[in-house]
Amino acid sequence: MSSATTAKPKKTVQKQTAVKGPTNVLIVGVGGQGVIMVSKILARLSQLQGLQVKQSEVHGMAKRGGSVFSHIRFGEEVWSPTIPMGEADVVLGLEWAEGLRWLRYLKPGVGTFISDTKRIVPPFSCRDRRHDARHGYAHHTIAEIVAQVPSAYAPDATGMATELGNERVANTILLGLLSTVMDFPVESWREVLAEFVPPKTLDTNLKAFEAGRAWTKQDHKPLVDDAATQAAPEPLLKREVKLEITESWCKSCDICVKMCPERCLALNDHQIVELVKPEACTGCRVCEWLCPDFAIAVHVSTVPINTISAEAAGEVQA
Amino acid sequence: MSKLALNLKSLQKAGEKSDHKFEIRDYLRLDLFPHFLCPGCGHGIALRALLWAIHDLDIELDQLAVVSGIGCSGRLSAYIDANTFHTTHGRPIAFATGLKLARPDLHVVVITGDGDCLAIGGNHLIHAARRNLDITCIMLNNEVYGMTGGQVSPTTSLDRYTTTTPLGNQEPGFDACALAKGAGATFVGREVTLQTTALKNLMQEGLSHDGFSFIEVISDCTEIYGRKNELGSSPEMVLSQKRSILPKFDGTAVDKPFRAGNWDTGVLVREDRPEYYKAYRKHCHKVLGTAAVKK
Amino acid sequence: MSQMPQRQSLQGNQACALGAIAAGCRLFAGYPITPSSEVAERMSKELPRVEGVFVQMEDEIASMAAVLGSSMGGVKSMTATSGPGFSLKQEHIGYAALAEVPCVIINVMRGGPSTGMPTRPAQGDVMQARWGTHGDHPIIVVTPSSVQEIYQLTIRAFNLSETYRVPVIVLYDEAIGHLVDTVELPDPDSIEIQDRKWASGPAEGYLPYAADEDGVPPMPRPGDGYRTHTTGLTHLETGFPTQVPADVSRVIGRLLDKIERNRDAIEQYELTNCDDAEILVVAFGITARSSERAVNLARESGIKVGLMRPLTLWPFPERKMKELAGQVRHVLVPEMNAGQLILEIERLCPDSVTVSGINRFDGLPIDPGEVLDKIKEISK
Ligand SMILES: Cc1ncc(C[n+]2csc(CCOP(=O)(O)OP(=O)(O)O)c2C)c(N)n1
Ligand code: SF4
Ligand code: SF4
Ligand code: SF4
Ligand SMILES: [Mg+2]
Repeated sequence: MSSATTAKPKKTVQKQTAVKGPTNVLIVGVGGQGVIMVSKILARLSQLQGLQVKQSEVHGMAKRGGSVFSHIRFGEEVWSPTIPMGEADVVLGLEWAEGLRWLRYLKPGVGTFISDTKRIVPPFSCRDRRHDARHGYAHHTIAEIVAQVPSAYAPDATGMATELGNERVANTILLGLLSTVMDFPVESWREVLAEFVPPKTLDTNLKAFEAGRAWTKQDHKPLVDDAATQAAPEPLLKREVKLEITESWCKSCDICVKMCPERCLALNDHQIVELVKPEACTGCRVCEWLCPDFAIAVHVSTVPINTISAEAAGEVQA
Repeated sequence: MSKLALNLKSLQKAGEKSDHKFEIRDYLRLDLFPHFLCPGCGHGIALRALLWAIHDLDIELDQLAVVSGIGCSGRLSAYIDANTFHTTHGRPIAFATGLKLARPDLHVVVITGDGDCLAIGGNHLIHAARRNLDITCIMLNNEVYGMTGGQVSPTTSLDRYTTTTPLGNQEPGFDACALAKGAGATFVGREVTLQTTALKNLMQEGLSHDGFSFIEVISDCTEIYGRKNELGSSPEMVLSQKRSILPKFDGTAVDKPFRAGNWDTGVLVREDRPEYYKAYRKHCHKVLGTAAVKK
Repeated sequence: MSQMPQRQSLQGNQACALGAIAAGCRLFAGYPITPSSEVAERMSKELPRVEGVFVQMEDEIASMAAVLGSSMGGVKSMTATSGPGFSLKQEHIGYAALAEVPCVIINVMRGGPSTGMPTRPAQGDVMQARWGTHGDHPIIVVTPSSVQEIYQLTIRAFNLSETYRVPVIVLYDEAIGHLVDTVELPDPDSIEIQDRKWASGPAEGYLPYAADEDGVPPMPRPGDGYRTHTTGLTHLETGFPTQVPADVSRVIGRLLDKIERNRDAIEQYELTNCDDAEILVVAFGITARSSERAVNLARESGIKVGLMRPLTLWPFPERKMKELAGQVRHVLVPEMNAGQLILEIERLCPDSVTVSGINRFDGLPIDPGEVLDKIKEISK
């Protein structure tokens, strides 16, 4: 895993004022599809808005066909480079099965899922070599997925790109789509595109970008499929984090405070640890692991969305 | 129910399984808390990793025997809700040898310190490694005699100040893993407390190894060694285990590691050799015939 | 299947090993040292035949530690050594006394101090056996005088150790350790074997060091669900350390009292011709053999002399000694050291009784003639 922090001019963020949590975008695909390029574009964009950006990518198997994903987090203040499960604001899939595989990272109920419906069936998912053989590739229909996620976009970006004359601009179509769900000014998107794509293809890319933006305006939703509409969707589950602090065991060593990737702990007036930014806590457990006095226990549970506690609900809206 | 929902469910289940279930309190003698270690002491982190590994291996506390020596490290056994034996300075491995030979059914774990294991107890380490009895020895190396107030130990880094090296230590620090390896230990590993999960995994492997396993844990004596050598605050010390260029929390960088160790980490030796007790018993049966043996 | 007693020609050290096996010893950990090595050698042969374990450790410290580890695991265990090795074992003998871990230590005495005279007999460890480890502590020392008695007292050592949860030392000298004699090995079923009291009852609220009436707490066996803590730190009934003066005096007090209150059951001695004795010889081990001969010879010449032979050196049969001291006018204490047991006897005798010794530490046993001469001298 490599992680890069993009430098930004030091901003004075006042400790006391509530800082909006970072925005988390997870870009996933298979080797060779351009996951890294897409994430670079996003990182650059955020940087141009004066935000802190952290990006970390894992090349599962960077050979063609292997899973590749990239975490991008940007906001006023970002510490940890990785997005915990259930915390992504956007999951952007360049390939259908990969998109699905990472769906559980989406913030349940509020996250946006965007994925090309293109299917790249990896050779190793086939069970035998006969024609028509069953394979382990994702079997869900698009409608099934869309029914699960309130905010889902599943264009045939690759098909659209082929129509535009270059299969490779499928990602740009997805970026166009993404631009409609994010706050960055459209101009900025175009500038950054120009910065990253080969000059010869800029025209096609800009067209693709517009096509992506236009796609959302057409009526593609809901993609109805009888089976899916009839089966009531299972309630989505939300990951809930609770920190249990045993004050009488804390010896004020400051380790958890300094090692928390989200900087959400502090020592209070009594020099006892306190969770001061509960909304920022991701449940990563670093504090629990490194506390020599076992004074912190992180409880992570999954609860149906409608039963989550008020604080956690606040976190969902954030 | 759609397949996706099914999938999500099973994923969440899996997530829960790995998430839950290690509740350290289930493994502790809670009446004794807070424990006696100083603020920031790395031994506490090591203890968590050990209990976590024990949890993940599903070792029953009733079947677990923890044998420790004397030192801050030696005190840890008392906090574990198992069959615990706080023995004498330097000898926990020897006690554990008798215990394991008498009770091969128990999981026997030794917790020892750098002074305990390498100075006064060095000989026992050598012979336990040679014998290959199924014991897991966890040595907490804080480069100092913590309990007695900070005297030099066999692993103290060169030039470090201790109460008995007021001008700086001139004995080179000792590589315990190399010793264990040389003596024939069939499993040797080293990890820093900073990498708690890696440490836990290493311990888990050591505990599962059939034979003598030796694990050196790089731990911090924050109160005594840290102070005396100005190694920084507790978080700075634990972070310094990375031993690369170290950012300080005030934003400046220091360009040399706080601690002079040069540690290879992870599994350093893993070999297959007959476990001593099993080999002994099998051989006796072979020579005498099982029938000749009466209880 | 009952068997008749078996007669066998055995060396003292070998009889010791057979006694241990008969007593139920199933682990031996040791380190070779003259003149005790034959105990280890015989154990290494016998233990595999009874599913036991013999292990030769890296030194005497480790041997003693392994014995304690094994006993804490619930298995009767023993080690054997001599002078230098006995010195090395002392720290762990103290651990056994404080943590109440049953164990048997064979010390075959040789000439000292230091490496001294490895192949020569001596009786110089009388005080070390009692006070060798630091601090006030309970201990039992038994001392045989013959090969037969080595066999029997080794069994008794295990029984005492198990009953009172104390380290028990079997103290004899090189001369009887290496003596070969005919020994009657009783039918194993007829041997009285004592096992320690095991903890039973609920684990909830269990106190590992809460003693029964007899002052001895039952022992928890690892794996039985008690999950207790054992430590060499002064500890409460819970097993966890304390330094509160009132608690310390209570718990250490009980340890010492364990022996005091059970003296009658523990103390053993043998009296020869004591009824009308005016002179009393007190001797143990090889010296008791010479003394017995001397006493018999002296009786033949009409001297009213008797022999008291303590079989438990510690606790010393104090009450009997005091009683005899009230009856005799002179006590003679021959011993192969510069005068150790005599200190204890002087303490127990009133001023009206003169106490004298025969002492040699040159590696030669005290012979009957020497004792006889002294008796004659006293009787004049
Ligand atoms: C025979 C003996 N010698 C010396 C001591 C004193 N002593 C107690 S702990 C200790 C050193 C412990 O150092 P280490 O093993 O590194 O453990 P740490 O406290 O650093 O964890 C010493 C010398 C003792 N208890 N027993
Ligand atoms: S779990 Fe602990 S370390 Fe992780 S974000 Fe929350 S408070 Fe910080
Ligand atoms: S790491 Fe533990 S002991 Fe240290 S400040 Fe945090 S909670 Fe307190
Ligand atoms: S003295 Fe050092 S090793 Fe001992 S508890 Fe304190 S910090 Fe830890
Ligand atoms: Mg140390």
